[in-house]
Amino acid sequence: MGEILRVEKLSKFFDTPSGSLHAVENVSFSIEQGKTLGVVGESGCGKSTLGRTVLKLIEPTGGKIFFQGKDITNISKKENRALRKDMQIIFQDPFSSLNPRLNVADLIADPLKTFKEHNKKEIEEIVFEMMDLVGLSRRYAYSYPHELDGGRRQRIGIARALALDPKFIVCDEPVSSLDVSIQAQILNLLQDLQEQKRLTYIFVTHDLSVVKHISDDILVMYVGAMVEKCPSKELFAHPLHPYTKGLLSAIPIPNIHHEKVKVKLQGELSSPIEPPDECRFVKRCPYATDICRCKMPDYEEVLPNHFVSCHNCKNINNL
Amino acid sequence: MSLLEIKNLTVEYVLRKSVVHAVNNISLNVDAGKTLGLVGETGAGKTTTALSIMGLLPHPPAKVQSGEILFEGQDLLKMKEHDLENIRGNKISMIFQDPMTALNPVLTVGEQIAETFHLHGNYSRAEAEKESLKMLEMVGIRPERSTEYPHQFSGGMKQRVVIAMALACKPQLLIADEPTTALDVTIQAQVLELMNDLKVTFNTAMLLITHDLGIVAETCDDVAIIYAGQLVEYGSIEQIFDNPLHPYTIGLFGSIPSLDEDVERLKPIPGLMPDPANLPVGCKFCTRCSRAVKQCEEAEPEYLEVEPGHFVRCNRIGGTDNG
Ligand SMILES: Nc1ncnc2c1ncn2[C@@H]1O[C@H](COP(=O)(O)OP(=O)(O)OP(=O)(O)O)[C@@H](O)[C@H]1O
Ligand SMILES: Nc1ncnc2c1ncn2[C@@H]1O[C@H](COP(=O)(O)OP(=O)(O)OP(=O)(O)O)[C@@H](O)[C@H]1O
Ligand code: SF4
Ligand SMILES: [Mg+2]
Ligand SMILES: [Mg+2]
Repeated sequence: MGEILRVEKLSKFFDTPSGSLHAVENVSFSIEQGKTLGVVGESGCGKSTLGRTVLKLIEPTGGKIFFQGKDITNISKKENRALRKDMQIIFQDPFSSLNPRLNVADLIADPLKTFKEHNKKEIEEIVFEMMDLVGLSRRYAYSYPHELDGGRRQRIGIARALALDPKFIVCDEPVSSLDVSIQAQILNLLQDLQEQKRLTYIFVTHDLSVVKHISDDILVMYVGAMVEKCPSKELFAHPLHPYTKGLLSAIPIPNIHHEKVKVKLQGELSSPIEPPDECRFVKRCPYATDICRCKMPDYEEVLPNHFVSCHNCKNINNL
Repeated sequence: MSLLEIKNLTVEYVLRKSVVHAVNNISLNVDAGKTLGLVGETGAGKTTTALSIMGLLPHPPAKVQSGEILFEGQDLLKMKEHDLENIRGNKISMIFQDPMTALNPVLTVGEQIAETFHLHGNYSRAEAEKESLKMLEMVGIRPERSTEYPHQFSGGMKQRVVIAMALACKPQLLIADEPTTALDVTIQAQVLELMNDLKVTFNTAMLLITHDLGIVAETCDDVAIIYAGQLVEYGSIEQIFDNPLHPYTIGLFGSIPSLDEDVERLKPIPGLMPDPANLPVGCKFCTRCSRAVKQCEEAEPEYLEVEPGHFVRCNRIGGTDNG
C-alpha cells in the first residue's frame, strides 16, 4: 500500500493583536493508504488547525502538502474545490457544525449538491444509502439537528463526510461528546468503513484509550509543535518525551482500586504567540536543562520509526 | 437533609407532533462536600435534569410535569424568577456542555471572568480584573491572552474559560455538564484538582455529568446511571464499580477501550436508545438487553434497593444472557 498523504514542515500562523500565533509549526509526517494517524495533545495545541490546513480548508503559512503524489499546497480555487471529493472532515462539534435550518436529508445532500453531478433522484438514493451505512434510521430524514441527540448528530456528520465517497477523512474528535457505548459503536463503524473503502484517517482526539485503539501511528503535539511520533503500541509501551510520559500517566482509569503514580505536570503553558527559540515544553518539564531554554530541539529518529523532539531524550530514557 | 434533593422529577418536551419524555420520575440527592456522578447515554436526559435545577429549561417546549427540586429545603421549581436569578451564579453555578452558550462573543475572555467576580464576589472592578487573570492561569491559560475574544480560542480553551467563570463565584452547588470532555488529560487533571479544592475548601457539592468512567472513578462519591430518562442504577462509587448490577451499567463498563489489552473490535451495547417520544412499555432497556425475557417487555421493572443505598431497576438482577 502506498503513501497517500505527505506533509513537510507544515506551518500555520494566525495574526493576532499581540503578534503572530504559531498554531502549527514545522509538522512533518506521511500516511499510507488505509491507515490511521492519531493526533493527540493539549487543547489548543493545534490539532484542529493541523487537520484543516492539511485539507486546505485554511491556507498554510509554510511547508508542503502532497496528496496522492501531487503537491496541493498552492493549487487553484477550482482544484481546491475538486479536492473536497477526495478529502473530507468530520467536525469536532456536532452542535455547531451543522446548519440548524437544514433537515437531516438536506444536510447529507448538501455536499453532493455543490458538485452538481447527480440528479435529484440519485441524490435521494445516496442520502438514504448513507443513512443506512451510518446506522441512522430513515425516519429521521426530515428531522432537524436540534431534535436529535449527540450520537445521531455525529452520525449525520459522518454521513455528510462519506456522501462524496472520499479517500481521506480528518476525524476531528468525532466521539468526544458521546458516551462510551455509542462511542464504541462509532469507532467500530469508522473501522468497518475504513476496511470496506480503504479509507485513510487522521484521527484527532484527546482520549488516549480511543487513540490507542484506532491508530496505527500516533503523533503527539504540544503548543503547535510535534513532540513525538511512532507506532501506536510503541508509544504506550515506551513513551520517550517528557510530555508524553505525563500525558499517559494522567489518564483516568475506570477502576477504583487502581493505585497509580501520576507524573504531575505543573507550571504554565507556553504561549503560542511569538514563541521564543526554546523547547515549547520547557516551562512544565521536570527534566529541563539550560539548552532547553535557548534552542528548540530538533525532531529526531531516536529509535527506528520512533521520532522525538527533546534535547535530553537519550539521557532521560537511558538510550 | 441533603443540600440538593430532587424528588420524582418528570420533564417533557411538548413538540408539535410528539411528546419527548426526557426525564421520568427521577430522584437524586447531593450532600454538601460530595460529588454525584450522573452517567448515561446521549439523549438520556442528563442536561435536561441539570437545566431543571438551574431553572433554565427552554419553555416551550420543555414542561416540568411533576416533582420537586429542593435546594436548602426550598423548592426551586416554585421560586420566583427574581429569587432564582439570585441563587444562580451565587449559590449554584453551572458549567455548560456547550461553552459558547455561556460566553459572550463581543466581550474579551478577561472581561467576562472579571464580570463574574464583580457581580458575584463583591470585588471592585480593579480587583475583579486581577482575580480574573489569576483564575485564567489556574485553568492553564496564559494571562496575556485575556484580551482575546472567545472565537480566537480553541474549543478546549473556551471550556476552560467557562470553568474559570463557574468557579469564580465559589458556589455551594456546582453543576458540571461534561466539563472536561474537550480537554487533554493533563489539563483535565488540573481542572479536576481545582474542582476538588473547591469541594475541600468550601464544602461545595457537585453534580458531575460525564461519560468518562475514569473520571467518575477518580472524583465521585456516588453514581447515578440514567437510561431513557430513568434512573436504572444508583449507589456509592464502590457499589457501582465493584458490583454493577444493571445490564446497561455492565454494558457501559464493557464498551470502554482498554489500555492494557489490544482488541480488534470494541463491544458496544448493541442498538440505540429508544426514541424518547415513543418509549417501550416495559423495561426501557429491553430492546438492547441480552438478558431480556418476555416479562421485561410487558411490565416496567421495579426500582429496588438491593443493598443499603444501592438501587437497581431490573427484573433479572444477577441473571444470565438468554442465547
Ligand atoms: N482563526 C483563528 N484566529 C486566531 N487564532 C486561532 C484561530 N484558530 C485557532 N487559533 C489558535 O490556534 C491555536 C490552536 O487551535 P486549535 O483549534 O487548532 O487547537 P486544538 O488542538 O484543536 O484544540 P482543542 O483540543 O481544544 O480542539 C490556539 O491557540 C487557538 O487559539
Ligand atoms: N429543546 C428541545 N426540544 C425537543 N427535544 C429536546 C430538547 N432538548 C432536549 N430534547 C430531547 O430530550 C432528550 C433528553 O435530552 P438531554 O439533552 O437532556 O440528553 P443528555 O443526556 O444531556 O444527552 P447528551 O449526552 O447528548 O448531552 C433527548 O431525546 C433530546 O433529543
Ligand atoms: S527538550 Fe528539555 S524541556 Fe523539552 S522536553 Fe526535553 S528535557 Fe524537557
Ligand atoms: Mg480542536
Ligand atoms: Mg447533555
